[in-house]
Amino acid sequence: MKRVLALTMLFVLVATACGAAAPGGGGTAPQVKLTDGKLVLAVLNDQSLVYADLSGKNAVEAVKMAVEDFKAKYGENALGGPVEVITADHQNKPDLASSKAQEFYERNNADAIFDVPTSSAALAVAKVAGDQKRIYMNITAATTDLTGANCNKYTFHYAYDTYMLAAGTGKWATENLGKQWYIIYPNYAFGQDMEKSFRGAVEKNGGKVIQSDGSPFPNTTGDFSQLLLKAAQLKPQVLGAMQAGGDLVNVVKQYNEFKLKDQNIKLAIGLLFDTDITALGADAFAGVVYTTPWVWSMDDQSRQFADKFLKRTGIRPTFAHAGNYSAAWQYMEAIRRAGSDDADAVVKQLEGYKFSDFFIRNGLVRPEDHWVQHDALLAQVKPSSEAKEKFDYSKVLATIPAETASRPLADAGCKMPK
Amino acid sequence: MDLGYLSVLLFNGLVNGAFYALLSLGLAIIFGVMRVVNFAHGAFYMLGAFAAYLLLQQAGIPFWPALLIAPLAVGLGGAVCERLLLRRLYTLDPLYSFLLTFGLTIFIQDAMRLRFGIQGQPYPLPGELASSVSLGLVSYPAYRLFVIAFSLAVCVAVWYVIERTRLGMVVRAATERTELTRALGIDVDRWITGVFAFGIALAALAGVLAAPMRNVSPLMGSELIILTFAVVVIGGLGSIAGAVAAGFLAGLLASVGAIFDPAIENVIVFALMAVILLVRPAGLFGSQEAA
Amino acid sequence: MKRSHLILLAVGIVLALALPRILYSALALRIISWALFAVSVDLLLGYGGMLSFGHAAFWGGGGYAAALLAKTFQLPFPIAVLGGTIVAMALAAPIGYLAIRRRGIYFAMVTLAFAQMLFYLVNEWRDVTGGENGVQAVPKLLLPGLSVSRTADFYYAALPLVVVGFLLAYRIVHSPFGHVLVSIRENESRAQALGYATWRYKLVAFVLSGGLAGLAGSVFAIGNSFASLDLLHWTTSGSVVLMTVLGGMGTLWGSAVGAAIVLLLEDQLSSFTDASGVVTGAILVAIVIFFRRGLWPTLSDLVRRTASSPGGA
Repeated sequence: MKRVLALTMLFVLVATACGAAAPGGGGTAPQVKLTDGKLVLAVLNDQSLVYADLSGKNAVEAVKMAVEDFKAKYGENALGGPVEVITADHQNKPDLASSKAQEFYERNNADAIFDVPTSSAALAVAKVAGDQKRIYMNITAATTDLTGANCNKYTFHYAYDTYMLAAGTGKWATENLGKQWYIIYPNYAFGQDMEKSFRGAVEKNGGKVIQSDGSPFPNTTGDFSQLLLKAAQLKPQVLGAMQAGGDLVNVVKQYNEFKLKDQNIKLAIGLLFDTDITALGADAFAGVVYTTPWVWSMDDQSRQFADKFLKRTGIRPTFAHAGNYSAAWQYMEAIRRAGSDDADAVVKQLEGYKFSDFFIRNGLVRPEDHWVQHDALLAQVKPSSEAKEKFDYSKVLATIPAETASRPLADAGCKMPK
Repeated sequence: MDLGYLSVLLFNGLVNGAFYALLSLGLAIIFGVMRVVNFAHGAFYMLGAFAAYLLLQQAGIPFWPALLIAPLAVGLGGAVCERLLLRRLYTLDPLYSFLLTFGLTIFIQDAMRLRFGIQGQPYPLPGELASSVSLGLVSYPAYRLFVIAFSLAVCVAVWYVIERTRLGMVVRAATERTELTRALGIDVDRWITGVFAFGIALAALAGVLAAPMRNVSPLMGSELIILTFAVVVIGGLGSIAGAVAAGFLAGLLASVGAIFDPAIENVIVFALMAVILLVRPAGLFGSQEAA
Repeated sequence: MKRSHLILLAVGIVLALALPRILYSALALRIISWALFAVSVDLLLGYGGMLSFGHAAFWGGGGYAAALLAKTFQLPFPIAVLGGTIVAMALAAPIGYLAIRRRGIYFAMVTLAFAQMLFYLVNEWRDVTGGENGVQAVPKLLLPGLSVSRTADFYYAALPLVVVGFLLAYRIVHSPFGHVLVSIRENESRAQALGYATWRYKLVAFVLSGGLAGLAGSVFAIGNSFASLDLLHWTTSGSVVLMTVLGGMGTLWGSAVGAAIVLLLEDQLSSFTDASGVVTGAILVAIVIFFRRGLWPTLSDLVRRTASSPGGA
């Protein structure tokens, strides 16, 4: 634990030092020439349905913050013209997402689109980005297809994917909680992906998946007791729950109700956002270990961002909020390096780029599939008695090195179109 | 598979059935008297759960009083909707009231989302029922047993009122022979607001019961309502006993079906509905005339 | 065709041609596809008196079939659309056969049930359908080897198909068949007494309506380059009924206008507010209470009244 902390501190130091020494940092700005006189960043996400809390409006705020901070650092004219942030609510409808993405690129001359939760919507937007040769940086969608079968030159996958989640939690839980697994997953693309990834991770680490079951999608009743009872019946050492958002809250609520913990069936969770913990209270999750790209309280640098974010929005940022900020920031940095917002020039700057910031550690934009690889964290939910303040939910157990947290290139199956 | 597991599955089916039964009972009464297919029923269920949450958060009122207060409050809200909106549509095709309640649902859900966010609010199990009860072979959460018993009691009470009292007579008459009842000079309209409010209160009651078990979120009723429609049709639109029986039947079937494939739950209920409509169009308990 | 209708048609076509310039091409494509979808619902609801609450099954069924055909066999899109239409009709035949045995709200429930089953089936059958991710990266080929990947190009390439669909609907409602359909809506027993095998008329209407919905869904899916589960969700069935009622049932033109208004509203709301549900819900309630005849009848009354009283009040 201590070593992790020390390592993280070291990173911060190195990162800050690098930042300060980097050419172009501060005063002498390289000349940026914008193709149409202004830079337009578009945030396309769910602002009214299931992902509205964990990304939504506040992700738009995060991108706006990034723009303001960028100007504060490099000067008002850092990007050679005005920067505009526009947004739309895609309501998790892939066809609306596709249509809005086209409007952004064609009518609003958006240079890049950010976020886009829901895999089907993200895949639709990636297709538009590829067709229109403009940049799309995915943050909140988890599907590995974006850097696999459906990869393209203009799409980048930031923050996290299903492989990362499984690589961290699957390995740790198999080694520490038990070898016998029962996996339950929501029966749609994300859940099926997660099931596959976790099964792989468990088996790779000497564990065994006794059985796995899909829960109905959509889950009309919010009832998962059938699966939890089956778990009590199968008596695995670990129950792997791949549900997300409201479904996950229901699973955990009912896991506690059926007292599976007392029967020595430990819970491993695939994807956990801070907003899920808010919904149920930290004590319901206490002890659960999960993988995440980022925790707001992990170090001073992150805390600084989280403080600013809290002041602005009234909540602590989820990793989706932080990811949007970081992605927008790195995108603008790439424009400065390229000296232009021309998509091809920016892609060239991003590919193979190595960097670290408050959100991304040991980052590398893989040129082969555009997965932005970086260290992931293994975190554990604390009981509310250990929380020092509101939203203080988790502590970091370990860092998962970037290579381990990233799907091997050989498995990606991305044939990057030139 | 052992006997213990099977019995627990059956109990689970009964719990789900209890929710279906309460919800479809309210729908059936409203349809019976008013010929309104109330799309907003799931939204009122959600409001019931939120009412319980707010009572606890804002006023410190725990589960037990909330079980009475929340349905009353939400039922009152239902009465207002009936007076202000639905009342204007009775002479028209039921299509219009269906669309109206559809719009109302979208409105209520989104308004709640703007105020409370989407992710859900915590609601604890009532302390008295937080333990598990041993049933010989297996132990089962006490709260779930309470849900089964309580909703059964409510269903029986409602059935009693409708079968044995004067109020019930009017409701029954209005349900089964609307025109005739009017012709006999019974003022059906006078009862309508109360009946609608009562149906809504039943939905809210289900919502309060759900709060300790399920995520209290603005979308909690949005998919459930479609399934409940299927349950009501299986029981026979407007049939009181049918709604209750079909509710428990659907819960049990889905539960047993889950042994083979947990994902099958949704399909089973709709498949059953299609079969019933084709073989016995009026539903299990409906009078043939209604179809 | 009546002269006034010819003028309307001409206006409609000019408007459709200009639409991508007035708006943006992706929105224009959404509007013409949904307009035809709403027309297909109106054919059934406005003329046949049958409220289908499961028309997403045909819109989505056609969409998936067309997307899969275009992707798997690299077919030109007009052929894929034709395939989607045929699949939708093939779905509509058995569903319609069973559904038309019920009336009113029961009919709505049966169609809903079948649409829901198709939704779950498509989700489960993910080897073929891609589950919730959908069928992605569908090519838009006009001829083998000739791609119309820009949405604006695709719009003009697909517009004739949509116009043909609309003309078919027009032809159907103004044919003797359409008149029998209306008389069945007005009084089914009377139509039976007059010797019509009413169920046959209703079934044919259902299958034709399903086919038009499938045609619209196919154009929509290929135009988007993907088919996803959303096409089949019950909210899709709900939205299209809303469009038809808003525009005015039993007018065909009205449904198209209703579709355009709902989509423009959705487009604007999604950009300018995060309270789209509150606004949409309130509008729907207001329409049902104050404006339930729909836009088209109200407007055409207005036009007629002004026309008949020159220099009017």
